[in-house]
Amino acid sequence: MFGMIIKGLWETLYMTLFSTFLAYLFGMLIGIVLVVTDKGGLFPVAALNKTLGLIVNLARSVPFLILLIAILPFTRLVVGTTIGPTAMVVPLVVASTPFIARLVESSLKEVDSGVIEAASSMGASPLQIIYKVLLPEARPSLILGAAISTITILSYSAMAGIVGGRGLGDLAIRYGYYRYQSDIMLITVAILVIIVQILQEVGARLARFLDKRLK
Amino acid sequence: MPDAIIRAQGLTKSFDKGDLALEDVSFDIYSGEIFGVIGKSGAGKSTLVRCLNFLERPSAGEVYFQGEALSGMSRKKLYQARQSIGMIFQQFNLLMQRTVLDNVCFPLEIAGWKRETAKKRAAELLELVKLSEKAGTYPAKLSGGQRQRVAIARAVACGPKALLCDEATSALDPETTRDILSLLRDINLRFGITIVVITHEMQVIENLCGRVAVMDAARVVEIGGVREVFSRPKSEAARALINTDGEAAALLRFLGKNGVSIEEVLGHVWHDN
Repeated sequence: MFGMIIKGLWETLYMTLFSTFLAYLFGMLIGIVLVVTDKGGLFPVAALNKTLGLIVNLARSVPFLILLIAILPFTRLVVGTTIGPTAMVVPLVVASTPFIARLVESSLKEVDSGVIEAASSMGASPLQIIYKVLLPEARPSLILGAAISTITILSYSAMAGIVGGRGLGDLAIRYGYYRYQSDIMLITVAILVIIVQILQEVGARLARFLDKRLK
Repeated sequence: MPDAIIRAQGLTKSFDKGDLALEDVSFDIYSGEIFGVIGKSGAGKSTLVRCLNFLERPSAGEVYFQGEALSGMSRKKLYQARQSIGMIFQQFNLLMQRTVLDNVCFPLEIAGWKRETAKKRAAELLELVKLSEKAGTYPAKLSGGQRQRVAIARAVACGPKALLCDEATSALDPETTRDILSLLRDINLRFGITIVVITHEMQVIENLCGRVAVMDAARVVEIGGVREVFSRPKSEAARALINTDGEAAALLRFLGKNGVSIEEVLGHVWHDN
C-alpha cells in the first residue's frame, strides 16, 4: 500500500508540475497579448483582443470533466495515448491555460499605468516595456498567481482517475471510495492537503520576499 | 530670438466622445528657456504636454522637435526623439521593483548603454540630485520629494535637450516644492536643458518660468512674459487664475481696503527687483 501511495504521489506531482509549466508558458503569452492588445494598451488591436477574449471565455466555461473526454482524440494525436499521467497533461494544459491567461492578465493590469507612460516617454518600445516594466513590476502578483494555478491544476489532476490517468486522486477514488478502503482515502487526501499548504505558503512567501514595495 | 526647439502648430486633440481636449494650439518654445503652461484642471494642459512627445497623437496639427515633424517619424525615430525629451510626472512614476540606482539606469538601458557605463552615469546623476546614499534603496522607502529627485535624475540621464514637467510639484508640500524648483532651475542653467512646466500653481510659474501660456477650455488664450501676463492679464482666464490664487486674493483684499490699485503695487515690486 505504501509503495502504491508513493507511486501515486509521484504521478500526481509529475502531472501537476509538468502541466503547470506548459500551461503557464502558454497562459503567460496569451495573458500578455490580452493586456497589450486591449483598448488603451501598448499596442491596441481590438479584433485580436476580442477574439482571444472570446476563446478564453469559451474554454473556461467547459467543465473540466467534459473537456477531458471531449478532447480525447486530440490527446491521442499529441501524445499517442489517452491513458496514464502523460496523457493527462494534455487536457490539464488545455483547461488551465485560459485560466492562467486571465490570472496573468489581471496581474499585469495592476501595474500602474503612469509607470508604463513614463517608460514610453523615455522611448521604450512596447516589447521593452513588456519585459522591462510590465513583467518585473507585476512579479509578486504573478508569483501568487502561479501558486494558485498550480493548486488548481493539482485539484483537476485528481479527476484523472476517470480516464485511467492515475495519481493520488485516482487512488482515493478507486481504493478509498469504490472499495471502501477509507484508510487509503484518508492518507491520499491528507497528502493532497499538505501539498496544497506547501504550494500556497511557498508562493506567498516568495511573492513577499521578492516584493520591493514592502522593504 | 533663438531657434524654437519645440514648435506646436495648430494642435487639436479630440477624444472618442468628440470632446475637444485641445483646439488649435500653437506656440514656439525656445532653446534654453523655461516655458510655463498654466490653466485650471480640465483646461487641456496634460493632453498638451503629452502631445509634445506624442504620448498622445494629436488629431490635427503638428509638433516639431528641433525642426523635425514628429508625425513624419518612423516608430524607431520617434523612440529616439523621446530619448532627447525627458519627462517627469505628478506621481513620480518610478519603477517600484527597482532600486533607486536601477531606476536611473532604466532610460540608459533603453538607449542601449552598457551596464557598467550606465551604472557610472547613474551614480553621477544621483550625486547631482543629492541622493547618492539612497542608491541601493527601493522607491517605497523614499519621501515624495526624494522620489521626484530620482525621477528628475532618471529624466535627464540620457542628456535630453528638453524636459517636460507635468504637475511635477503638485503632490509636494511647499518646502519640497521650492527644493524641486531650484533643482530644475539649476539643471536648466547648468546643462542648458529647455524646460516645459505644466501646472495649475501660479507660484511655480512665478518662481521658475520666463514665459507662460495660459490655457482655458482647450485653447491657449494668452502667451507672453510671466511678468507681463500676470501684471496686465488680457484674458479672462488669466485674470481668474490670478484672483483665485490665495495669496494674491488676500493681497487684493488688503489693497482694496486701503485704496491702492494692484498695478501700482506690482509696478513697484518689479521695479525694485
